[in-house]
Amino acid sequence: MTEPIIKVRGLHKYFGPLHVIHGVDLDVMPAEVVVIVGPSGGGKSTFLRCLNFLEEPSAGTIEIDHVEIGVRDTGAKHRQLIREIRQKAGMVFQQFNLFPHMTAMENVIEAPLTVKKLDRPAATAKAEKLLSWVGLSHKRDEYPSRLSGGQQQRVAIARALAMEPKIMLFDEPTSALDPELIGEVVEVMERLAHEGMTMLVVTHEIHFARDVADRVILMADGGWVEMGPPGQFFTEPKEERTRQFLAHIL
Amino acid sequence: MAGRPDDTAAADRVTGASRTALILVAATAALSLLFAIQYYLGGPIRLPVISEVLSVAVSPDQRSIAAGSQDGMVRVWNMPAAFSSAILAEFDLARAPTWPVQGLTGHRGAVIELVYEPESGDLISVDSQGEVRFWDPAQGKPTRSMTIDGPVSDVDFSRDLSTMASVGTDNRVALWSVETGQLIGRLGSPASARWAVALSGDGVLIAAGMGSHIQVWDAQTGTLVWELAGNCESQALETEDECLQDDKSWLAHTKAVTALAFSPDGALLASGSADTTVLFWNIQTGKVASSSEGHWGPITSLQFDPEGRAVLSTGADNVLKTLRLPGGKSSGTYGGHFGAVERATWGPLDTMLVSASSDGTIRVWETANQYTIHMEWSRLGLQRVWGRTLAGWMLVSGILGLVAAWGLSRIERWSHILAMALFMLGPIVVIGLPLFEVLGYPLVTVTRLRISWPLILLAVWYTALLVALMREPVALLYEAPRSARLAEQLQASQRTIRLRFGVYGVGVWIGLLVLLFTVLRRFKLDVAFMGHFFSFIMGGASITLYISAASIALAVVLALLGALGRLSRNPIANGISSFYISLIRGTPLLVQIFVWYLGLPQLGIRLEAELAGILALGVNYGAYMTEVFRAGIQAIGKGQHEAAHALGMTRGQTFRRIVLPQAFRIVIPPIGNEFIAMMKDSSLVYVMGVWELTFRANKVGRQNFRAMETFLIAAAFYWVLTVAFQFLQGKLETRMARGERK
Ligand SMILES: Nc1ncnc2c1ncn2[C@@H]1O[C@H](COP(=O)(O)OP(=O)(O)OP(=O)(O)O)[C@@H](O)[C@H]1O
Ligand SMILES: [Mg+2]
Repeated sequence: MTEPIIKVRGLHKYFGPLHVIHGVDLDVMPAEVVVIVGPSGGGKSTFLRCLNFLEEPSAGTIEIDHVEIGVRDTGAKHRQLIREIRQKAGMVFQQFNLFPHMTAMENVIEAPLTVKKLDRPAATAKAEKLLSWVGLSHKRDEYPSRLSGGQQQRVAIARALAMEPKIMLFDEPTSALDPELIGEVVEVMERLAHEGMTMLVVTHEIHFARDVADRVILMADGGWVEMGPPGQFFTEPKEERTRQFLAHIL
Repeated sequence: MAGRPDDTAAADRVTGASRTALILVAATAALSLLFAIQYYLGGPIRLPVISEVLSVAVSPDQRSIAAGSQDGMVRVWNMPAAFSSAILAEFDLARAPTWPVQGLTGHRGAVIELVYEPESGDLISVDSQGEVRFWDPAQGKPTRSMTIDGPVSDVDFSRDLSTMASVGTDNRVALWSVETGQLIGRLGSPASARWAVALSGDGVLIAAGMGSHIQVWDAQTGTLVWELAGNCESQALETEDECLQDDKSWLAHTKAVTALAFSPDGALLASGSADTTVLFWNIQTGKVASSSEGHWGPITSLQFDPEGRAVLSTGADNVLKTLRLPGGKSSGTYGGHFGAVERATWGPLDTMLVSASSDGTIRVWETANQYTIHMEWSRLGLQRVWGRTLAGWMLVSGILGLVAAWGLSRIERWSHILAMALFMLGPIVVIGLPLFEVLGYPLVTVTRLRISWPLILLAVWYTALLVALMREPVALLYEAPRSARLAEQLQASQRTIRLRFGVYGVGVWIGLLVLLFTVLRRFKLDVAFMGHFFSFIMGGASITLYISAASIALAVVLALLGALGRLSRNPIANGISSFYISLIRGTPLLVQIFVWYLGLPQLGIRLEAELAGILALGVNYGAYMTEVFRAGIQAIGKGQHEAAHALGMTRGQTFRRIVLPQAFRIVIPPIGNEFIAMMKDSSLVYVMGVWELTFRANKVGRQNFRAMETFLIAAAFYWVLTVAFQFLQGKLETRMARGERK
């Protein structure tokens, strides 16, 4: 029996008076693919961002790959731990957030150079592999402004993978894309799942959830509504709330 | 289409309007070339051009003036009986009557010296080829002639005209008998550059320049009497080093001696030099008796008055001066010539001077107010310098025009552009510059100068050609082959429109520059003065550049720190930063400069003026640029920070690697404007006595009452600097904009 790679216990998040996450727990096993769906404003993004501390959680504990952070700590030691967690958990954003002043290649090698202190040839060699893995070796010297949305998102995935993370967090990676560009990004995510990456994905791509996910979670009003394997989740949901939601999006 | 090449060729053949344009260009080019070649070979067709007047003399009866010019002609003007010394209320060139003139032809070289024989009234002329002619002006024919070694650069006669000294372009000094035409003897070695020679009135001493030194020989024995090299103003000190150590000036020429003259009593030798100064040497002691500041340009000639109480000096700075003796102080300055004054002498009446200039005129001046009261042209028309410019332009445009015509016949795009550029410049060169030169004549002289009709015709011709070349069918043909696809032809016409825009733009700029130049000429600018002090004023440019560069560097650092402070969540940093901005932006820059320079010493902190200037400017601009930087940093979206943080980058790394480069790109245009403003504001440090550009311009300008000239030099420098900087800024922006969407 392996240990879960992500362990979340009693996570709360307040934005001022607004209670956005109501003490959720989650265990994710290595190589597991978890998809979170849910209505807008349900706190999916906030939850994901709490995992790598882009939002500071208000209460609870988060343990990622045996690095545990007590939520209310401060100071240099705390910041060091956060950076460790961030290196273990790569993140892909809805708006890509590529660095516009760097080429695709430079985007990918930036963090390995500055954070991991790799030397340039090693970083470049690795980046070339990643870019060809996402199918963009021919665009290595283009600036983001000259790439399509799908290409940008694939570069962003390569950029996150360059840090060799243990888990990958995707926050609606295809929502900002034109419909015909969604496929190329989903295809890359599927391959990533097949290669055994632990993935936490917020998405409305029901196909991805159905075909690739090991577990699907419905999140609403800051808590889990229902959690289960996709077969059961989509065909015979237990909760009335889930049925409504599925009826709404399918 | 590949199978029918003939069709393509036929479609592209030059036809119609284009053929006309081609023929016109070719013909114009060929004719220009022909004109230029015959001009340089000394052929007969010349557009009216004045030849330089190199020598002048007044007849003993004071009724006529003789002038020798570059083209070998000696002209003798006879003064009308009505002409008196009465000061004219207004001198109008267009209405001034010309005097009866008689031309004495025959010289093959430029006439460099003219003398009247006091008794007979005969005229002696010497040309640069070494031919000496004796004329009876009444007959207009030479009575006899003699030949000395040529080519000659300077000659001088003894008072009784029995002997003549000469110095050749081969640097040899010789003494000749005027009666027999025989060589009496040679003096010195032809060692070093010799430009001037003088013979004392009694014919006993000969002086000749040797570089910046002067050699004086005894004419009878040929022995060297003096080599005048200079001496200290204090007699006790021997060497130049001792003299300068003692803070005394060393009296000597620093450049070649270009003019020499003995005083009538033979006690003084006056020497003028390319270093613009005039020295008076005591022949008895071999020391400098007095020195004169002289001119703003090289001295071209010196002449003592018969009593030895004054010297008339002429210079390449377009003025003549009278220097009072003893002492050598300037007692009169005669300005108005448009070219170097080559020679001057007293006469024709007692209160008058006459001068000859390379602008092709002789002028008669009255000495009371130093006004021109009469002027004669060696030939009516345009000035010499434009004549040469015109021939040079014809040569260039002829060659380029033929090249363009060759290209046009082959339907090449570049040839069309070349032809357009050529004929755009044509009218400006041919008529614009001379016209504006004429407009630049001094305002006291109400001048209506005739611009010869051939030139007007030429300018019209060029303009017509330009219009022909600009016409749509012509332009399109040379842009895209007619057989080309429609898309290509449309593209080409777009290009043509852009190109025409560019060509017209350049033309307008050139035209406006010429206009600006003309307006400036109207201020009666002393160009020679500007030339003289140009290097001194520009000596301050390096300091200006250094101060601006250092202040800019300081300002950028401060602005960055200030912006970080303003964005910081640390209340202390934030407070310091906002206080700094408020304080600096709330007080005038000039006051700040004074605080740094005059205020700090009261606290015992004494700053170098330059350092104080750099601090004042840097701190001031730092405050203004803080806001710019802050806006630039804030413009970088939250997503960029998050992406960097999610990759594990620290806040410092994120700022340095991700935020700052993008912010820089945003702030370059506004910062560039601040830089330009700063470069100009750096002139404010002149109030602290830093010897930078503006300070020097102010100093020299005020001392000589010619502030307009010196500040123009400074202004031009700032302008050029700004233009250069804007160019660099544009380049930088395109470089930095690589990542942006096109
Ligand atoms: N920085 C913030 N400050 C204040 N409130 C916030 C902040 N970020 C999110 N919220 C609030 O928290 C709630 C949850 O937001 P969240 O973005 O996590 O929802 P979501 O499930 O991702 O929705 P969506 O599908 O629209 O992306 C929302 O009500 C939102 O208004
Ligand atoms: Mg969201």
